[in-house]
Amino acid sequence: MGLFRDRKLGVATKRQYDLPLDKSEGTSFIILLIGLMTFLGFMAIAASFVLSAMTERWSSGLENKATIEIPAQTKQGKIRTDAQIKTLMNKVSKVMRANPSVKSIEILEKQDIQDLLEPWLGEGSDLGDIPLPGLVSIELMSSSQPVIKSIERDLKSVANNIRLDTHRDWLTDLLSFTGSLQFSAVLITLVIGVTTATSIAGAVSSRVAIHKKDVELLHLMGASDEYIAKQFQRHALLLTLRGAIVGGIIGGAVLFTIPIFSADMATTLVPDFSLNFIHLLIFMTVPFIISGISLLAARMTVLRALAKMP
Amino acid sequence: MIVFEHVGLRYGVGPEVLNNVNFALEPGSFHFLSGPSGAGKTSLMNLMFLGRRPTRGLISMFGQNINDLPRHKLMHIRQRIGVVFQEFRLLPNLSTFDNVALPLRIMGRPEKEVKSNVNELLEWVGLGDYKNALPQTLSGGQQQRIAITRAVVTRPRLLLADEPTGNLDDEIGYRLMGLFDQLNRMGTTIVIATHNVQMMEKFGHPRMILDAGHLTIEQNKSWIEKKIKDVF
Repeated sequence: MGLFRDRKLGVATKRQYDLPLDKSEGTSFIILLIGLMTFLGFMAIAASFVLSAMTERWSSGLENKATIEIPAQTKQGKIRTDAQIKTLMNKVSKVMRANPSVKSIEILEKQDIQDLLEPWLGEGSDLGDIPLPGLVSIELMSSSQPVIKSIERDLKSVANNIRLDTHRDWLTDLLSFTGSLQFSAVLITLVIGVTTATSIAGAVSSRVAIHKKDVELLHLMGASDEYIAKQFQRHALLLTLRGAIVGGIIGGAVLFTIPIFSADMATTLVPDFSLNFIHLLIFMTVPFIISGISLLAARMTVLRALAKMP
Repeated sequence: MIVFEHVGLRYGVGPEVLNNVNFALEPGSFHFLSGPSGAGKTSLMNLMFLGRRPTRGLISMFGQNINDLPRHKLMHIRQRIGVVFQEFRLLPNLSTFDNVALPLRIMGRPEKEVKSNVNELLEWVGLGDYKNALPQTLSGGQQQRIAITRAVVTRPRLLLADEPTGNLDDEIGYRLMGLFDQLNRMGTTIVIATHNVQMMEKFGHPRMILDAGHLTIEQNKSWIEKKIKDVF
């Protein structure tokens, strides 16, 4: 109110800059743009963290592990009974225990298999008489080719169509898929950085053009390039900080809210994502990194414009 | 102090607006710069306050060859020059005080010194009551006084003024000319571009006359007579 009254009376308020930068057009637009960039940056970084957690979980959980599958049908297409499958499973178990490369064995019961199928078939589904394969989970000393060959040989001695799934094929595809998603997230973060720098450079450039006469005046009074650039840098820094903090707060709120809304989503594919201290630290530095980019962009733009003056 | 040798200036590919300008201003001298409109006064002033570089010739200021100086070294020379622009060029967001304080702040003078110097000068030019006013709320004459005060606040070694008393009534105009005279006696070299024949006659300083880009310097007869009388 006091400020408004002073302006109306033509009384100057406390000097912030020599140049009339705080009254420049498009200030709100820049703040909004930086806010959006920061928000997007938060989302991209969060996505990167989630993908990293997923990759970690998939690769560490399946390392040196394999699944032996006794198909519900024989090679000739005849359905195996539960008893036949159980007999084969016991045989498999026996030969696996005899193999020195096998560290541990776990026979999956019918209920375990039903639990595994539950995410796809829905909770409480009655599998009834649907023939289910027999599954044996094994942990190996190593996943080297000779070890896998020896296991396959042992399994062939029990029955012809018993399959060994080392998860390698689908895991490699999945990991390369998540890897490319992670790369995309990093790329998006970089694009956000470049967009921020470009938009600030554009805004500063237009401000230099608008206030060209005043900038020239400071230059003719003997102001160093540094003196003039500092005014634009400070202006850009304050604008960016305002936008980045608002964008960061909204981004942070969204990230904290997502787990609440997704709590009911029973999926074992996506890990429970919770922020640890390092994550928080990274998120907290985002507004400052964006402000730093903006400060540098402003500085370089002004110095380039000043270099054209005599 | 200032030496121009065969200086020429042209804008783009146009004709030369200053043609073979030669002169040397001694330290502590006082000159009026006069000539018809379009004669090149503003262009010459521009060269003197280093707003442009000449297209040919040699300019030396304060004993340094401007042509050879790198860009970053020119700022120290500019800080020794006070300029009063015809259109004042006050910063609209700054108060009268801050506008006048600007050159001192650019030079990095301590704020205490800035305050005392600026306040003293503003009182002297009769703007003590308008320290916090924005320039656009003041009259043309008051704005001109701010522009002049800003130019002299650092006690520059060279003062260049483009029609500095144009918008002022006679009393204030002569008072400010008195300030220029006082600065001149303290050693500041002064060049004032003006059309005011009466003022040039009254103060009698030598005139630099520009016509179609050519410069001649003529001593004022009455001023020479006065000087001779002073000596004998």
